[in-house]
Amino acid sequence: MVLGCGVVAVDAGCVAVDLAALLVRDPRCTLLLRVCGVSMQGAGIDDGDLLVVDCALTPRPGDVVVARLEAGFTLKRLVRRPGGLALAAAHPAYPLLPLPSGGDGHVLGVALHVIRHC
Amino acid sequence: MVLATVLIDGNNFYASCEAMVDPSVVGRPLVVLSNNDGCIVSRSAEARALGIAMGVPFFKVRTQLERHGVVVRSSNYALYADMSQRLMATLERWVEELEIYSIDEAFGVLHRPADGDLSAWGRDLRRQVQCHLGLPVAVGIASTKVLAKIANRVAKADPARAGVLDLLAAADAEALLAQVAIEDVWGIGRRLARWCRLRGVAHALALRDMPSAELRRKCGVVGLRLQQELRGVCCLPLVGVAPAKQETCVSRSFSQPVCELAPLRQAIATHLVRAAEKLRQQRQRAGAITVFVRSSPFDGTSLYSRAATVTLPLASNDTSVLLAAALPLAARVFRPHKPLVKAGVLLQQLQPEALLQHHLLMPITPQQQGRRERLMLVIDALNRRYGRGAVQWAACGLQPAWAMRRSRLSRAATTCLSQIPVVHAR
Repeated sequence: MVLGCGVVAVDAGCVAVDLAALLVRDPRCTLLLRVCGVSMQGAGIDDGDLLVVDCALTPRPGDVVVARLEAGFTLKRLVRRPGGLALAAAHPAYPLLPLPSGGDGHVLGVALHVIRHC
Repeated sequence: MVLATVLIDGNNFYASCEAMVDPSVVGRPLVVLSNNDGCIVSRSAEARALGIAMGVPFFKVRTQLERHGVVVRSSNYALYADMSQRLMATLERWVEELEIYSIDEAFGVLHRPADGDLSAWGRDLRRQVQCHLGLPVAVGIASTKVLAKIANRVAKADPARAGVLDLLAAADAEALLAQVAIEDVWGIGRRLARWCRLRGVAHALALRDMPSAELRRKCGVVGLRLQQELRGVCCLPLVGVAPAKQETCVSRSFSQPVCELAPLRQAIATHLVRAAEKLRQQRQRAGAITVFVRSSPFDGTSLYSRAATVTLPLASNDTSVLLAAALPLAARVFRPHKPLVKAGVLLQQLQPEALLQHHLLMPITPQQQGRRERLMLVIDALNRRYGRGAVQWAACGLQPAWAMRRSRLSRAATTCLSQIPVVHAR
């Protein structure tokens, strides 16, 4: 009987790493969005990046979030300020935005991963 | 242990899906149009508030919509189907059994807690779906399907209920049943509703309490079942796994009437290619193909409607084989000077893929068969990955003039990488 490497690997209970499972916590509430603009470069997110957004996580201060604003989906970091929660860019040229009243309802989800072509 | 039956459905599902992937339309009146941008099939709450009616032809209300700044969208089935799958996969976790009833509606069964009230459960479910998927839903809870439908309807109509009603926990359940017009009871058609009205049975409560014998004489066991359901006795169990399909149909109206054979052949080829793809998804083969066409019933001339069928010597789900068999039928259903408004393809005598009966006069080696099957798998995979039509049969034609009109289509925001929405970093 011939025993190849594959047989040994199966015996050891090894499975190839599943990249999709690493990036997507729950496919039912995950959206992919394309980044347009440079205001989040300070957070390591650049123009043209693909963003993996989880809509089921509760946004906490410090998270990079996608806000649903009238002008469209907007990428910011959720920060705590004396007046309440606000949306901050990771670039000095962009102003701080107050989170519109209604709070959580204006956050689509939390950005968890960035996919970028080398 | 007592079982509860629930009905969960999306509010203005298509319009809500559009708002989910495009925040610029949130809070604005929006309508979604049917195939060929024909009629209004979904309205956002804001559009309803403007008094825009359901089902009206778009051309009749076009100026009214423009005046009010209403956003108008073509039906984006790729988006709605994906959001529907996400919704159903979420609901599965909340109930013990789920029956997917339509693209935005599902029945579920679960056990009632000891205190008997599922209102809080319904509110939690509603909150989670809203938060995770961005879709508003209504939850109707009762003991049978017919009552769950009613509960869902009341939950949606009465703003005070905030989209959730447990009919069994409601103190005024009988009064609620008396508010539901007989025409709005699930399973009551127009003729039966008229018959009920003539007997003074005007609402769901009256139907529940009318003499069973009278109802039985009129509509037999179907009517009795409906009445039993209203009395809280389950007669319509959940249908879990859909039974294997007996037929698969793909048909579309043309954006403009087709008067020549060549475009008709292209349309039939296009529908067949789609139907064959469905067939392979269902892991089935077809033993017969019917092609059908019809003219417009409204153009003043007599209605022309024809169908032609071919039986295959060997059941197949190979697009090339099906095309070769079906395309000659186009000439058989075609008549010059009869403008056609609709064509379709019906695949029949479906059988499981695993069961292939060989034909004495058509020998095909397992190697040949395997190669054809792999080719189809590759084509399906390419079309899934790069969008429908990435690999296409030449018989379907390029940019056909008859293709469905969808001039206001939003992006395939969740199913096609090149169309995912943009998030601004500014």
